[in-house]
Order: sequence, then C-alpha cells, then structure tokens
Amino acid sequence: MTEDQEKSFVKLVNENQGLIHKVCILYETDKEARNDLFQEIVLQLWKSFPTFRGEAKITTWMYRIALNTAISGLRKLGRKIKTEELEEFHFNISDNTEDNFEENFQKLQWAIRQLSEIERAMIMMALDEVPYDEIAENIGITQNNVRVRMNRIREKIRTLIR
Amino acid sequence: MEELDDLKQIWKSHGQGYEPKKESEIALMLQGRSNSIIGKIKRNVWFELIFTIACSIALLVYTFTLEAGAIMWTIISLLVLFTAYLFYYVKKLLLLGRFDPSGENIKSSLENLHRKLTIYVNFYRKSYTVLYPVYFFLGLFLGALDTGLDGFLNRMRDPKTVITLIGVMGLFFVLGFIATHFYLKKLYGNHLLKLKELLTELQG
Repeated sequence: MTEDQEKSFVKLVNENQGLIHKVCILYETDKEARNDLFQEIVLQLWKSFPTFRGEAKITTWMYRIALNTAISGLRKLGRKIKTEELEEFHFNISDNTEDNFEENFQKLQWAIRQLSEIERAMIMMALDEVPYDEIAENIGITQNNVRVRMNRIREKIRTLIR
Repeated sequence: MEELDDLKQIWKSHGQGYEPKKESEIALMLQGRSNSIIGKIKRNVWFELIFTIACSIALLVYTFTLEAGAIMWTIISLLVLFTAYLFYYVKKLLLLGRFDPSGENIKSSLENLHRKLTIYVNFYRKSYTVLYPVYFFLGLFLGALDTGLDGFLNRMRDPKTVITLIGVMGLFFVLGFIATHFYLKKLYGNHLLKLKELLTELQG
C-alpha cells in the first residue's frame, strides 16, 4: 500500500481509537493484554483496509473487525476474563456528580464483563447507538433475535448491578 | 440505571478512560506481527517448510560425496520422506490460506474459523496416520540394509520374529496415534471448544 494510504489509515484509526480501546477494555483485563489486542485489531484493520469501499459506515466496519478479532482471536489460552468481584472496585461514596458517574460507569463496565463474549459485543454496540439492524448484520443474526437478546442482556445487567 | 437509555448516558458520560495512542505509535503497530491463531500457525508451518527445504538441500549435496552403500540409501530414503513433507506443508498452507474475517459478520467468521481449524486438525491427524507406517517400514528397510537382505529374509522366516514385529508395529501405531491426538488436543482443542461454544450460543 502507498504511503498516502498508510497516512490516511493511521489518521482514521487515531480519530476512532476510542472504539478500539472500548473493545480492548471489555475483552481483556490487564494492560499488557489490552495493548496486544489493540495492536492485533489495528493489524487486522490494516489488512482489510484495501477492501473497505466506504459502502458501510466506517464505525460499522471497525466494529466488525475489532469484535471479530477480540472474539475469535487467540488470546492466550486460559487467559479468560475472570469473574471479578464487584468489591474490587472499592467504590467511594461521594456527593460529587462526576464521582457518581465514574462509579456508575465502573459498575456498568464490571457488569458487561460478566456477560458472554457475544453479549458483550451486542451491548457495546447498543450503548454506542449502533442501530439494531446494523447490530444484526455485524453479529449475523436477525433483528428480532437482537431484540430478544437485548432484553435478556438488560435483565442480566439489572440483576448484576442491583 | 438499568434501562438502556440510562446505560447509554452512563456509557457516554465517561471520559476517555484510556491512554490515547499517538499517530506514530499506531504507524509503528503496522510493522508488527499478527498474533491471530491463523497467523501463528502459518508462521510455524512456514518455519517447518523452510527448515525441511534447507535440510533436503544439505542432504542432497552430501549424497553426491558418498559412494553407493547403506548410508547413501538411508539419505535417499530421508530425501523421499522430505519430499512428501514438502507437499504436506504446502497443503497445510493452502488450508490456512484465504481466511479473511473482515468481510464477514461474527457468526460467519466463527463458522469459517471453526471449519478451517477442524479441517486443518483432521488433515494433521490423517497425515500422521499415514506417516507412522512409512516411518515403521522405513526403519525396517534400513534395518534390512544394515544386516544384509539375505540375513533379514532368513530372520523373517521365524514365526516368533514376525509375531514380535507385528506386536511392535501395533504398539508403535497405537502410541503414535495417542501422542498425535494428545498433541493436537493440547494445541487446538481448547480453541476449537471455545469456538464451538460461541457458535452454539449464536445458534441458540
């Protein structure tokens, strides 16, 4: 690929790196593993960059590859997301709204990590306002199935956070 | 906070929460190596293929310096075996090729990966099922060369020797098969199991 293509690719990843970081945070627990996954996602994006024709939204394309890499890729066997204890987060009770948001975010992140890898992918896209038809297309199931599963996921999160 | 809109609000309200990568860091990542399972297996097969070619060339060159005899025939047998290995590695690379998850949805990608890995593992197992008899008869052939063909044939007339040989052959095959099965399960078993579980979840 040309130098110009490389530059535009790097710029594109830089602008949308939040999406990749979120996938890494939800699929890996330690920093080193997250960095490895980040690099693997970037490599897979780069590999398929020439075939990206702009027909799909850039974020849809990135989601598809990032989630495919995170779910089907070989992370060290046995290095699974551990069932973490909620207490590990040591929430601080504070009246500060910003602190509450942070605490709620930590809780939400913890709850999502308890879900299966497929459920994690679905809720993550839903939280990022990806429409159900695109979620269905990215996962490879029907829209109805997405709705049913999303209800179940919401129930699970509700139980976990309660 | 359990309703989706509330969850979205929390999700968005959070700041970056991560250390952003610089453009130079991202550019550097493009020079790295893939750690995907297909990428790793491909690298291993390429290494084995190059190693086999290098050994074959070295043995071939050495053969020209030898006079006809047991050592030369041993080396020629090895070269024949290495040639078979070349086809084996090329076939492995072909099986691993054309895997590109980018254009597929997650379900198709998982199905494709599961199918490819299963075919690969089965090919690996079948190849060794063929190679064990080859190894065994090659060993027998070299033994015959070493002791002299007449002496070897004389010994084969003794029923005890034939029975012992059949026993050793059976043991060799069974142990070889168990070792290959164990090795494959250790290498790819967990990953195949994980893929199967994910597919079952998607189909459920």
